[in-house]
Amino acid sequence: MSAVVSETPLAGVVKAAKKPARFSLARRTIITPILLSLLLIAITLITVMTGSRPFNQTVIDVLVRVIFVVGLYIFIGNSGVLSFGHVGFACLGAYATAWLTINPIMKSSALPGLPEWLLQTRLPYWEAAVLAALFAGVAALIFGRVLMRLSGIAASIATFAVLAMINTIYSNWDSVTGGTSSVVGIPIIRTIWPYLIGAVVAIFIAWAHAISRSGLALRAARDEPIAASASGVDIPKERLVAFVVSGAVMGLGGALMAHSIGVVTPDTFYLSLTFTTLSMLVVGGMGSLSGGVIGVVLLSALIQALRWLEAGVPIGESTFAMPKGLQEIALGIIMIVILALRPSGLMGNREVTLPRRNRG
Amino acid sequence: MAYKMRIAMTALAVLSVAYPALADDDKIVVGFATAESGFMEAYDKPAQEAAMIRIQEINAAGGLLGKQIEVVKADTKSDRAEGAKAGLSVLDGGADLVVVSCDYDFGSPAALAAEDAGQVSFFLCAESIKAGIQGVGPHSFSASVLAPVQGATMAEWAFKEKGAKDFYRLLDTWTVYNKGICDGFDWMMPKLEAQGAKLVGEDTFKNEDASIAAQITRIKSLPKEPDAIMLCTMMPGAVSAIKQLRAAGINSMILNGSGVDGSYWLSAVPDLSNFFVPVQGSIYGDDPSVDVNKFNATYKEKTGADPSSQYVYPGYVMIDVWAKAVERAGTTKADAVVAELEKMKDEPTLFGTRTFTPELHHQNKARYLIVETKAGKPGVVGNWTISEPVPMEALLK
Repeated sequence: MSAVVSETPLAGVVKAAKKPARFSLARRTIITPILLSLLLIAITLITVMTGSRPFNQTVIDVLVRVIFVVGLYIFIGNSGVLSFGHVGFACLGAYATAWLTINPIMKSSALPGLPEWLLQTRLPYWEAAVLAALFAGVAALIFGRVLMRLSGIAASIATFAVLAMINTIYSNWDSVTGGTSSVVGIPIIRTIWPYLIGAVVAIFIAWAHAISRSGLALRAARDEPIAASASGVDIPKERLVAFVVSGAVMGLGGALMAHSIGVVTPDTFYLSLTFTTLSMLVVGGMGSLSGGVIGVVLLSALIQALRWLEAGVPIGESTFAMPKGLQEIALGIIMIVILALRPSGLMGNREVTLPRRNRG
Repeated sequence: MAYKMRIAMTALAVLSVAYPALADDDKIVVGFATAESGFMEAYDKPAQEAAMIRIQEINAAGGLLGKQIEVVKADTKSDRAEGAKAGLSVLDGGADLVVVSCDYDFGSPAALAAEDAGQVSFFLCAESIKAGIQGVGPHSFSASVLAPVQGATMAEWAFKEKGAKDFYRLLDTWTVYNKGICDGFDWMMPKLEAQGAKLVGEDTFKNEDASIAAQITRIKSLPKEPDAIMLCTMMPGAVSAIKQLRAAGINSMILNGSGVDGSYWLSAVPDLSNFFVPVQGSIYGDDPSVDVNKFNATYKEKTGADPSSQYVYPGYVMIDVWAKAVERAGTTKADAVVAELEKMKDEPTLFGTRTFTPELHHQNKARYLIVETKAGKPGVVGNWTISEPVPMEALLK
């Protein structure tokens, strides 16, 4: 891929004094989501060609994480507010798809507290995933209405409270969520294409939001809150828009994750997933969509390579294997090194684009 | 050119997928999609070692259907998403039997992958009814005994053998396993009440609770100390709860599930007495069966340590019953093996009998040895089989 990294065009546009032509911003920036999608498509094609089922599952995992991290980026990257609560929306999405896709007979014995119409419903997984995303978006709207008036560290802590609340409710509402026990019977989708489509859709949603009026206003508010609000930017409103969009994307990711494993439990969507996805975003670069996607791909590749080393690599006569569990330690060290050398992540605030001269 | 390349790649891929199927003829493969790292390793590894002992025995005796059993392994890292991958990778390794993690939550992703591929899966020691037909599908089994059987066994045994009349139920709501023990107790209790027993109270706590002082106060304020407390909990919270009960001067019998078997934690509650645990076989060297004691010796020889708890044994049982079914079916084809397994009724194994039916791939009735801990020393004091199997309604609760 002949992409090079250049200063974000978004900043340039905001600074420009003359009124730009319609869609000129879209035309100039669309190459970023296209390149990122091509990267994912290339990975997917290679996976399909290898024909290995565990590798296929690994890449499905990567694509699901791309959706999560892109979802996080939509809010965190554009608003600058660190959110610990977004995995909660993934949880909402995962359970919503479980409610919609499980065989009604199994549902009425495992989750008897669901309303009658929901007990009788059985949708194909893709319809359920879309509805799950909408459900998570609506939940984000309700939470966001209250939370988005806060700013800085207070907002971060409040989002963490949202995560804890969702987790506690879903762990204890036995008749509707099955409590701490696994919800089973979710149809498992092992073909990789739906996940690829989900990830590409998430990337385009993130891009469309970032160049929208609301996205630009939010970025302005992130960099200069006082100047932005003096220029008429309603910061809580713009944050709420980003919160809802990112909540919906997280819901989509949660739904697809449920379909990739076939079981959901509340503790899947808690601290460990929160910190994995956040660290992928931070390592890639919080302020950039490319950073999010590349962070996931790079860290996942690294995790996979370390796993292979753990499992043992034959060198000549003998097998070289790292001790079990070293993968997590090595990953931590590598992440620290990356952040020490590049404090704002691998990509910083920049996006991947084609070389400048190629653009019109 | 690129197109040709892709066709060649696809053909290669198809070949590599088809290869294990072709290679099936000269060997039988058992795939372990279990935890080799992470917290589940503590549960999976001992049972897996017991399974390996049975595999080695079978191979030494000439193999299964005249073929040697080979083993492929994949680490779930005690993670559900990794579990699904581990399941798929042992299937790619040609597994005829997919062995999955002890716990339903952590084993089910791999078991679902096996079910999807139409292969037999066995949970090493899961004790939830979901670990089988109800939660995975018609090719899935568990080698252990359902948790409700443990609760029911303890209640009936305490009433019939120890003359306990007043029961108190204390549930740790943390896991499905804990709830399962108390579900079995709840099913048994009305039968005992008809014969003169009485449930004098019930309460709940959470495994992570640092103090259960409130629960203890409620027990202490009963007009009379209950004869027996049914404690439905597991490690690590169990130790703290037991210690607090005894420290508060409550000397009632404490009845438990098998989850607290083992002597590794007893030093935390010195001189513990009047404490009862149901086990499938004794790790304390006093099992009434000579073969069990012989197995314990073999286990020590192979692994360098005594079995740490009774959860070692189901691994051995699993390979044993599966190999018998394969032998009887004359093939490793999943449907034929499942059909043979479902014909097993009171099939003798080293650690009690096993019955599988087309409705239940699990044990709803089993002989349990009762281990009493007296002054800090555990030992077998008797055995008990519940008078009737735990019915489906109580299991699905």
